[in-house]
Amino acid sequence: MHSVVCVKQVLDQDIPPRAFRVDRAARRPDVAGAPLVMSIFDGNALETALKLREAEGGGTVTALSIGPKGAEEVLRKALAVTADQAVLVAEGELDALDAAARAALIAAAVRKLSPAVDVVLCGRQAGDWESGQVGSMVAEALEWPCVTLVSHITPAAGGKVRLRREVEDGYEIVEAATPVVATVTNGEGNVLRLAKVRDVMMAHRKPITTHTAADLGVSGGAGGAALVDLFIPEKSSKCEFVDGKTAAEKATSLVRKLRELKVL
Amino acid sequence: MPPISTATRIIYWNIPGHGWMYAALVPVLALFFWGIWARVRRWFLGRGAPGEGAPRRHLRDALRLGLMQRLTLADRGPGLMHLAIYSGFITLFLGTVVVFINQDLSVKIMYGWFYLIFQSLILDIAGIVCLGGVVAALYRRLRVRPDRLKSGGFSDLALLWWLAAILVTGYLIEGMRILATNDPWGPWSPVGYAVARLGADLGLRPAAALIVHRVTWWFHMAIAFGFIAAIPYSKLFHMFAGPANIYWHTERPGGALPAADLEAEHLGTPDLAAFTWKALLDLDSCTECGRCQDACPAYAVGQPLSPKLVVLDLQGALDAEAPALPGFMQGMRLSPSARRADGHDGEVATEPLIGGTIREETLWSCTTCRACMEACPVLIEHIPLIVDMRRNLAMERGDMPEGMAAATMSIEERGHPWRGTTSSRTDWFADLGSAGPSRAEAGSTGVRVLGPGDEADVLFWVGCTGALDPRNQKVVKALARLMARAGLDFGVLGADEACTGDPARRMGNEYQFTMQAEQNVVTLGQRKFRRVVTACPHCMNTLKNEYRDFGGQYEVMHHSQLLAELLEEGKLPRTAAVQAAMGMEGAVSPRPSDFKVTFHDPCYLGRHNGVYEPPRAVVAAAGHSQVEMARSRNKSFCCGAGGGRVFQDERGSARINHARGRQARETGAACVATACPFCMIMMEDGAKAAAGDGAPQAVRDIAELLAEAVFGAEEA
Repeated sequence: MHSVVCVKQVLDQDIPPRAFRVDRAARRPDVAGAPLVMSIFDGNALETALKLREAEGGGTVTALSIGPKGAEEVLRKALAVTADQAVLVAEGELDALDAAARAALIAAAVRKLSPAVDVVLCGRQAGDWESGQVGSMVAEALEWPCVTLVSHITPAAGGKVRLRREVEDGYEIVEAATPVVATVTNGEGNVLRLAKVRDVMMAHRKPITTHTAADLGVSGGAGGAALVDLFIPEKSSKCEFVDGKTAAEKATSLVRKLRELKVL
Repeated sequence: MPPISTATRIIYWNIPGHGWMYAALVPVLALFFWGIWARVRRWFLGRGAPGEGAPRRHLRDALRLGLMQRLTLADRGPGLMHLAIYSGFITLFLGTVVVFINQDLSVKIMYGWFYLIFQSLILDIAGIVCLGGVVAALYRRLRVRPDRLKSGGFSDLALLWWLAAILVTGYLIEGMRILATNDPWGPWSPVGYAVARLGADLGLRPAAALIVHRVTWWFHMAIAFGFIAAIPYSKLFHMFAGPANIYWHTERPGGALPAADLEAEHLGTPDLAAFTWKALLDLDSCTECGRCQDACPAYAVGQPLSPKLVVLDLQGALDAEAPALPGFMQGMRLSPSARRADGHDGEVATEPLIGGTIREETLWSCTTCRACMEACPVLIEHIPLIVDMRRNLAMERGDMPEGMAAATMSIEERGHPWRGTTSSRTDWFADLGSAGPSRAEAGSTGVRVLGPGDEADVLFWVGCTGALDPRNQKVVKALARLMARAGLDFGVLGADEACTGDPARRMGNEYQFTMQAEQNVVTLGQRKFRRVVTACPHCMNTLKNEYRDFGGQYEVMHHSQLLAELLEEGKLPRTAAVQAAMGMEGAVSPRPSDFKVTFHDPCYLGRHNGVYEPPRAVVAAAGHSQVEMARSRNKSFCCGAGGGRVFQDERGSARINHARGRQARETGAACVATACPFCMIMMEDGAKAAAGDGAPQAVRDIAELLAEAVFGAEEA
């Protein structure tokens, strides 16, 4: 079975809140030097694909990313945990694309892959914008079924797959014919594994196939949704000490204040 | 009384056919030397050439620690016990050599005063001393039964009774000879003489004594020969392997770990052949004394690690792979290590080394605190053994406990292990103000960030935990204020600082350590400074002792050393001096006068790098009296954080830091002082746990105590 895992390079979600700044004019985060990492649910998706390959005893896992040249880092990381091949859709201004445009690029890249792709896995949402749309839109673009919030996939008879869906207070098991798109959430067994050192070294030597939007025959730009404004809301709090010599006086004065504020 | 010069005894008196003894000696010596060869041969299984890597001066160590028993005696009671057996055994062996020289080389030395004083009196005393040691050893094993000796079991007892039998039959032979020959020199052998008197008192006639003598002589000879043959097949082999292990001990600076070969067929040690030859010699030299187990903090709290059993289990695997006994004699080995120390009698050869012979939890329980290595009388290197196996798990199998794996990932992605920290590396000095790129003026409290090309006298290596952990930020802040107060020209790397790789290396990820080291050596190379100061003993150890392999040679100081130096030079005031200078009589100390401090020695400061006094000097300069914990200095009990354990959530009751917290509380001190960010985290938690519902002891870094004294007093 051939699985494609979409991995996105995002700004480290764990950078300290105080270090997080926004460039309002450019409508993007302004945190030079902050680490860029693989989006966390994409890590879960990758692990899910690796487990599927193991359960099947063979198959191919392809890591796919859209982004600038630097996004090769997350693809190397995917190769280091033994993804078989890596594809980069070179796109410098990723943030300018809306979910539909990204989904169109992914779908075009998936169609171009051989052998024919059976499963496409996306993280349930990316760690930066968290729109949570790309997975379902990829399914739409490919005209494949889509199963959301998956945490585990195993092969089933007749070329089908069994998917475990995480739902509130439990899980569902869904069987789907391939090809299929799954959006993956975190579950018990899909924390991305540690890379073995040999594989890390090998990953540096593996080729990364690069496509452009033009290669894929997708017209650039486009998108119905655009970001209009981006800023960090200002929170303010006021602290006032309640006057009074005794506890009773303080209580009286507190009640008066609360009444003035119409809290009581 | 005949003249003294004629004093001697007739060798082989009353033993017709004693020539058979020489015949018996042939197979005995064959077995003895075969056994030694078989054991030495299997060291060749390991990497490197056996015998390489010992400077000439190691001979001195072998003499001091082996012959003079310096480390063995460090544990008084058992040390003296061993000294008794050891010295008695050697003296009696020398007596046998005298007989050999006299009889077989026909150099007649066994006469006169020499015969009376050495060959009679001293040997008799040596026998008693040895027997005393044997009895003490038997008493320990049968009555005292300390936990650390539990693996010895039957074989220990057999060897001791065996030795006792040799000694007792020796006295019996001597006594019978004195009785039967009415030896005029008998009183020179007081024990033998007493036996003779006792025999006479019991009505034993000389004719009967002759028979007892002859029978006992042959029996004595048989068991003594058997004992000799057993040496290479039992723990007695330590008498050769121990000094050899000391002689070939590896010399590394401070707490540096040996490098791992990342190009080798296997990463780390999945099997015995991947160990160095020296590591295999380590296994063979174990005396099973159990001091390492007694010292181990993980063992003490019930975690699944005993350094002794790690060594013995590996030795068992080595036995299975390369038996010291020829096939037909299998099963006769006297050492208990041939069976699994956990009581399983499984097929040792077929199980994997890691996960089978040695459990993974065992390997991950080690804090690399070095207590075991400090205690080992024959210098076995437990930490490299354990880290080498961790290397296989971490690098070849990608298999690590969750918390350690998360720290590894974080170092890879962010350059520090503290994922989820709410600080950046420069936040801690935000309210100290920052100084411009020029040299900081004396007295300025600003912290300067050194960019490439910048220069400072002192490079302050803050460390990830100091910069990012809220509690430890207070420590590095106090230190920065003190350095500024002393007028030091210092700067930090700010965002350019990255984890030294200490935890990565000790968790077994040599590859990541290499990456971090290479990056940091480049970063440091871009700045000019005279020396590096850090408040983290782990950073200090790595920068000072491990970066030299990557081309980074620096003068590295721990902040305790720097502060002690600044106090010594008068650049920082001692509390009393501050008060006197300000004319404050009986001035208010920031703390009540009964404020006692107990200093917890960080393993990587103390045992690994030998720094014990400077932190205590700083506490004293801060005006506090000190009380020591039962385990301090080189016997300090780890806080539980080393070797990456700080990233691993401790589960259940087996927490090392809680045990250390209780030990600190037992001193009655108001404050636990330490000098390591990991110790700080662990001891704060430990102090709370030890306090129960009561008020926990304060936990302070030595820099905080001094800053409190210096600035607190000034502000007052």
